Amino acid sequence: MSGTIHVSRSDKETVIGVKGRFNFEMHSQFRAAYQSDSGEDNQGRRFVIDLAGTEYIDSSALGMLLLLREEAGANESDIEIINTRPEIRKILETANFQRLFKIA
Amino acid sequence: MKILIVDDDPINRTILQRLLGKEGHEVITANNGRDGVEGFALHHPDLVLMDIRMPGMNGYEAAREIKTLHASHFTPIIFLTAVTDEEGLVQCIDSGGDDFLTKPFNRTILQAKIGAMERIRQLHARLRVQKEELELHQERVNQELEVGKHIFAHIVRAGNLLDAPCLNHWTSPMTLFNGDLLVASYNPAGGLHIMLGDFTGHGLSAAVAAMPVADIFYDMTAQGFSIGDMAEAMNIKLLSIMPRRMFCAACLIEVDHRQQSLAIWNGGLPDVLIVDGSGRLVHRIPSTRMPLGVVPMTREDRKVEILEIRPDYRVFLHSDGVTEATAPDDGMYGSERLESHFDGTHAPETLFHAILDDLEQFRGTAQQTDDISLLEIVCDRAGEEPRGIEEKRQRTAIPPTPWEAAFTFSAHTLKSVDPLPTIINTVMNLQAPSGHRERLYTILAELFSNALDHGLLKLDTGTKKTPEGFIQYYTQREERLSRLDEGSIRLELSHTPRPPDQIGTEPRGGEIHILMEDTGSGFELDQVHSQLHGNIGHGGRGIALVRSLCHSLEYQGRGNRAKAVYRWTL
Repeated sequence: MSGTIHVSRSDKETVIGVKGRFNFEMHSQFRAAYQSDSGEDNQGRRFVIDLAGTEYIDSSALGMLLLLREEAGANESDIEIINTRPEIRKILETANFQRLFKIA
Repeated sequence: MKILIVDDDPINRTILQRLLGKEGHEVITANNGRDGVEGFALHHPDLVLMDIRMPGMNGYEAAREIKTLHASHFTPIIFLTAVTDEEGLVQCIDSGGDDFLTKPFNRTILQAKIGAMERIRQLHARLRVQKEELELHQERVNQELEVGKHIFAHIVRAGNLLDAPCLNHWTSPMTLFNGDLLVASYNPAGGLHIMLGDFTGHGLSAAVAAMPVADIFYDMTAQGFSIGDMAEAMNIKLLSIMPRRMFCAACLIEVDHRQQSLAIWNGGLPDVLIVDGSGRLVHRIPSTRMPLGVVPMTREDRKVEILEIRPDYRVFLHSDGVTEATAPDDGMYGSERLESHFDGTHAPETLFHAILDDLEQFRGTAQQTDDISLLEIVCDRAGEEPRGIEEKRQRTAIPPTPWEAAFTFSAHTLKSVDPLPTIINTVMNLQAPSGHRERLYTILAELFSNALDHGLLKLDTGTKKTPEGFIQYYTQREERLSRLDEGSIRLELSHTPRPPDQIGTEPRGGEIHILMEDTGSGFELDQVHSQLHGNIGHGGRGIALVRSLCHSLEYQGRGNRAKAVYRWTL
């Protein structure tokens, strides 16, 4: 039922793609995807969350994005959420996440 | 191992008994099926070797009976058989046998089969112990959850006025605990505060976070704070207690039936939908704020949407559990299907149940994946009090005593805090005439907002007469207040006990003198006069109301000093 996660890394950037359903069952997978790249040693690293293949996003997933933001340096973090379909964009905007993340 | 041999042939019994005895097993024997069943009950063997054809009860029947009588424990039964036809062997397994051994016996195969069965038996025994432990644990957890649920329900329900005549609500928790918090309560001026909060996740964690929010809601509503103030207090609380990945999408609404206004603060909940008397959607209030518990709030974040209400309006509020409810085929209910009810084909009073019925039909047998809440506010009943509210109010009587209090609020104070709740609480703590709180609050609130809105901010009440003007009025108020840098409001209160009545000797009431003075330019006394008598439009209602509640009300000076006298008896 839940989705799958694909990660690709370069020196400056981590791209996390989420396919399928982005819900609470993805918690440990999603966290594992960014954990080695967040923290003190990785300041200035850019995170891109690619939701091109995401069918659905629930509030636990929004919580995971908040956790990523926190661990990537909160206000200093550089996180972009890309390829949001209209329905998913609506969910992100209802929570006013455009104030915390770049959403494209 | 303790092994039971059931066989009517003494030679077979002897061979087996020797064979097994040499292996160190303890052996018990029985001559037929009936004796076998009895022997089993008596000795509780670890394994049974069962012949098939025996006089009286045969091996199939005996096996079936043993398995039925001792279902909770697994004891392997191996059939001893001369038959090699498939049907005979199938019958062995069907009657509860676990394996079979063909005659004549081969020692190695017999040992191997006994060994294999012993492994399975031990596995079963381990599983049974674990299952019992799990069941015990489950039982304990359930009991604790039941107690927790009881406490939670009482904290959340304490003073909850969801049974107010103007409210229809439906909520369906996904688990024992509801992650959707739905609360309603009256403020001291009789305005109804309603909140729907949807916490990330479901169950216990959501419920634990909901408790302090419910507390803040009731506390601050009772003290007369605005919904913007409450949202900020809840945000601060949730930021400090919740893990980062949890938040609360929330909508707070104040229905002020006297001012005919609706204030809405929506942080992360689906659009609040407002329908008119024709059953059509007329307003939509989308979420303009972040959910609670994500980031600290700015001044801007406290702002609410203000809307003039008409008696025929119905306000619909829902959690995303409604639009994200799934059908058995995994499809989602969606906001389009929800809003399709508001096309004018449904009588407005049937909408609430029409939506619920449609949702139930859509979901069918699908498993619920989120907490679901739907709430309707029927605006023309907003003034009706729920039954039993009188009993819910605390009745305390402090003997009337003389006292005085004075406050001066500078422009700086006025633009950063609403001093009214603090004043009211001070008065209430000094002298709390039960049943008079609402009236006193209303009088002070009206005089205060007159002094601020008209005296200092120079807003024109006339603006409020049209719906556009109504919105414009509040926008202007916000803007002028943020730029206010001079002027002040002074409030003097004095209380004198009134002489005892003919029967009692204790004073049974008192008189509160209120002076509200602002440094504004006041207004023409003629105009005041006409306002007092005209009382048309939204702004005028206030003064008329104060007049009706007070023993006397007069404006002095250049119209910038209001003197009111309020009399009360116990």
